[in-house]
Amino acid sequence: MQPPAEHVHWLFATGFLILGLCLLGEAIVGPDVWRTRAWRAYLWPGIAFTLGVLMFPVMTFFTNSTIHMLAHGAWAQALMFAGAAELGLVRGKLTSPWWRLAMAFAFLVSGTAFLVHEQNAWFFQRSSFLHHLMGWTLVIGAAVPLARCVRPRSTAFGGAFAATFLLIAVMLYCDRDLAPIFGHLSPLAGVQHR
Amino acid sequence: MRRLAVVALLALAFPAAASAHATLEHATPGFQQRVETSPRAVVLGFDQRVTVLPGTIRVVDALGRLVSAPAHPEFSGRHVVAPLHRLARGPYTVRWHVLAGDGHVVSGVYTFGFGVAAPPPTEAYGASGPTRSEHVVRWLYFLALALVTGGLGCRLLVVRGVLPPRAEKRFFLLTGFGALAAIDIGIIGFILRAEDALQLPFARLLYGDLTPIANGTRVGTAFVVMTLGFAFLAALLFLAWLTDRTALLWGAFALALLLTSGLSLSGHSAADAGSSWKSELADWVHLSAASIWIGGLVQLAVVVLPLAPELRRASFLRFSSLATVLVALVLAAGTYLSILRLPHVHDLWTTRYGHVLLVKLGLVALALAWGAFHRLVAVPRVAAGGEGSLASLPRSVLGESIAGMAVLLAAAVLVDSKPPPRGVPAQTVARKASTLATKTFVSGRTPRLRTAAGP
Repeated sequence: MQPPAEHVHWLFATGFLILGLCLLGEAIVGPDVWRTRAWRAYLWPGIAFTLGVLMFPVMTFFTNSTIHMLAHGAWAQALMFAGAAELGLVRGKLTSPWWRLAMAFAFLVSGTAFLVHEQNAWFFQRSSFLHHLMGWTLVIGAAVPLARCVRPRSTAFGGAFAATFLLIAVMLYCDRDLAPIFGHLSPLAGVQHR
Repeated sequence: MRRLAVVALLALAFPAAASAHATLEHATPGFQQRVETSPRAVVLGFDQRVTVLPGTIRVVDALGRLVSAPAHPEFSGRHVVAPLHRLARGPYTVRWHVLAGDGHVVSGVYTFGFGVAAPPPTEAYGASGPTRSEHVVRWLYFLALALVTGGLGCRLLVVRGVLPPRAEKRFFLLTGFGALAAIDIGIIGFILRAEDALQLPFARLLYGDLTPIANGTRVGTAFVVMTLGFAFLAALLFLAWLTDRTALLWGAFALALLLTSGLSLSGHSAADAGSSWKSELADWVHLSAASIWIGGLVQLAVVVLPLAPELRRASFLRFSSLATVLVALVLAAGTYLSILRLPHVHDLWTTRYGHVLLVKLGLVALALAWGAFHRLVAVPRVAAGGEGSLASLPRSVLGESIAGMAVLLAAAVLVDSKPPPRGVPAQTVARKASTLATKTFVSGRTPRLRTAAGP
């Protein structure tokens, strides 16, 4: 018994929303204020790492195509890796700022996985459109964590970083299989349901 | 606020699917279903309209004879129906492929039985059994398992104390690499097994439906459990590194040992005729002890001896004592399993399984001789305080671990091989031989004789 496809998107959207709001809070008040309570520094990297671990059940229980399984495996590992690198930096276990590149790498890998695993064209239905959009958002958005490596305390880059996660969250909330996009639904997509 | 965050995170624990392409939603007869009346048709229901291709559904019996008529679409193209001839009792294989709306050919395979239990899809007609690639992948899987289990065992049972920072870093790198490798190699191994069952070229395999294999076979169950287990183990290892809490390493070690049993529960010891809880236990002991032994040697040679000079004497002596127990366990369990799987001595030189076992025994003898050299020559010297002998130990220990890795390669081939059948009547053998000949003729590959349980 598998829950409907869109439900997982909504659940992970909630995770990304919390993550994005944490980052936005940090960008607005600045890292010094945000980290007056030590645990807050661990909050968003911890959420990213946890989301990576939770992606594994999606990969293993839903195997309706090989490429679909591989894409979820890539997201799981990319999220775990990026979250782990940020946690290591916060804890002081990792000292080189270049470890921040892990997030840029995770964005690139995740975006590519979105684009490669989506088999339908942009306007096939809403979920296809959003998969393409999320893929390109992440691929282009990889420039933001890259910029944060150079200017980690920049409010603009911090805000853009948070906005990327918030955008992804909104897109995941909008995701719904077999719903029309801009009033269009491919006749090949089947009957709209749910 | 904290409660809200906890609830939100817990909500994320419920997985679901994200499918945006043609997916098989239901099939009649179902996956591995046993039916008692001859079905009139195979009906496949998809979540969207699909196009029927020539040979969209092919249903064949155990001898590879086609028993289905050309398929046609129904219900606005979301269902595909293939009428069946009147079936005889036996297992049947359904291979299907349809053209999805996006132009991709989506494919799948499953089995059902009429009056008999259906075999798992990995034993569908046309599947030829493990290939050389699978031997290599399984070997790499064993190595990854040894890196994790042996690394943790060495750290907790042999080193015990605090490692110098550089050694600690290398320990976590090696063990973490082992955990991630186990996940990724496990995925590759599962896909290779699926490729064999689906009989598809790589480009089409990407859109193959793996659900019947993931949900209906021991291999699939092992894949799910071990992937999730190693993901959790990787998280534990990371947290142990991040927080410097050794207690988490104990949890990871216990989990690694549990996961080793996943291989035993999906292999010969659980599936073959004559298997029992004793054979499963023996297999688990065999694999766990070998993993700790070989992985521990790697850890000793690469981490402790070169990077922790103040710990190497005590560690080497402790490991030597532990290795004696591990080798005794490996030998005892291995002897029991050999007797179980090869009831006659002549099976050693008359069957393929016996040949591989002989090669493995030769390699085990080499590793044991190397280990005996360490135990009988190096240990007394190190115990007497000879610094010179300690200097040359890393290379020698690495040599023993390489011999152990070669044993694992032979073990990987052995696990993928089928032990000779136990007390199979001559008639059955003749019938299977006839099936084999037909399969070879039809598929052009070399299928293996299999029991109902499979490897």
